[in-house]
Amino acid sequence: MKERIKKLLEDALPLVDFDSNFLFRELDSLGITTILMTLSEEFNIKLEAKDATPKNLKSLDSLVALVESKLSK
Amino acid sequence: MSFMRLVDYLERDAELYPNKIAAICNGESITYKELYSKVLEKSSEFKKGEVVPFRSSQSIDFLITYFAIHKAKAVAAPLEKDIPQSRFDEIASSLSSSSVPEEVADILFTTGTTGKSKGVMISHRTIVSNGENLIEGQLFSHDLLFVINGPMNHIGSLSKIFPVTILGATLYILEGMKDMEKFFESLDYPANKVATFFVPATIRMLLQFSEERLASYKDKIDFIESGAAPLPHSDMLKLCEVLPNTRLYNTYASTETGIISTYNFNDGRCIPGCLGRPMSHSKVIITPDGKISCKGDTLMSGYVNDPQLTATILRDDTIFTSDLGVLDEEGMLHIKGRESDVINVGGFKVAPTEVEDVAMSLPEVKDCICISVEHKITGRALKLLVVIKEGETLNKQRIARFLRERLEAYKVPMLYEQVESVKRTYNGKMDRKYYNNF
Repeated sequence: MKERIKKLLEDALPLVDFDSNFLFRELDSLGITTILMTLSEEFNIKLEAKDATPKNLKSLDSLVALVESKLSK
Repeated sequence: MSFMRLVDYLERDAELYPNKIAAICNGESITYKELYSKVLEKSSEFKKGEVVPFRSSQSIDFLITYFAIHKAKAVAAPLEKDIPQSRFDEIASSLSSSSVPEEVADILFTTGTTGKSKGVMISHRTIVSNGENLIEGQLFSHDLLFVINGPMNHIGSLSKIFPVTILGATLYILEGMKDMEKFFESLDYPANKVATFFVPATIRMLLQFSEERLASYKDKIDFIESGAAPLPHSDMLKLCEVLPNTRLYNTYASTETGIISTYNFNDGRCIPGCLGRPMSHSKVIITPDGKISCKGDTLMSGYVNDPQLTATILRDDTIFTSDLGVLDEEGMLHIKGRESDVINVGGFKVAPTEVEDVAMSLPEVKDCICISVEHKITGRALKLLVVIKEGETLNKQRIARFLRERLEAYKVPMLYEQVESVKRTYNGKMDRKYYNNF
């Protein structure tokens, strides 16, 4: 799951370092939107603006956790 | 009465509304009286006639520096907040030896067709005329809270300081739109009316991820302006549905022409491509070959240090753009496209040659072309088609990071594709037209 998300997002946002633990700081609004759209399409989950918190977007691991929590609902 | 510069309006605001909040940013706020006193204090750092390049920031400090430079009768040259240091130094050194006419207040940098940054000189009169155009065209008011969410050195956001200061209204400055919670917090700020400016990608993002939340502010959002790049018609219709009581404007403006015309597309007709009637300081003329040209007090004074380049678009007090347009029987301007190689990505102009030149300096790149393609969020996005030398492979991350070290972030393509060759015309030039419909 983690590798799949990493590959998808790296493909969509080649400038972003998804190994970073300060992911939110490195992103701009376009990057955040791209992440939300890519993940919601790929996993068929509903993501909203309120999911795009600095905590949820802190690192690849926190993104994986976000997807997993949406999938389990 | 003698002509009042924007900073003179600020002084007047400090007298008339000393305790009114002038700006809010990151939980801090400043009154007009405090703001003007900080501007006075800071202005001693600048000399009359001096050109002052500085990194812009989304902060109250930006306002203090900007007004202090004007107060000292110096010239403000705000640059991208994340501009690479080498480019900052290059621009600073070219500005230090420049001769600037006395009327000039700001030098704003924008991309030219050749990829070199051009410094657009804006006079004090131009600033006030742009402000008055916006007040008239979009009904800014004294009790308005205007939320700025874009970079302060770009005319789209910078120009909103003008009507707000002329009227003594209030600015709410956001870092950007990445934290949408912060944006909604700005709408919760106690004010009768709020308004903002969005690039089309932000509207798409809000409609996609926060439609219901946005709709809950339908009685508070006085107006939203969009511009800089075309807003898809489906998004225009959707926005009218979500915010039925809000004025929604499409504006024709550029750094060179200033703010020319605006159209409220929430008028029941929602005409795509319509940019409304020219405002009172502006006049639009369509040239015999169908291009938009503009006259009036909002035009730039010229490009700094480049009278030859200035003469290519500014002649007889008229700016000749490369936008194709028509005026209808109601006197409203409609845009029909652009006859230029410059690519507009969400309001930022990018010269493909500049991106290509940098990418070509990578050893594995044999040839490349930078084109614009449809993108589900931004409308248009940059894509680099790369011919890789034999034995090497395409590494997107490496190219993207290499470009980022040398260029502003918005000039770095989001998409990359390896190709066998780049199409050229019979005389060897890149066939950009061939790639127009990608």
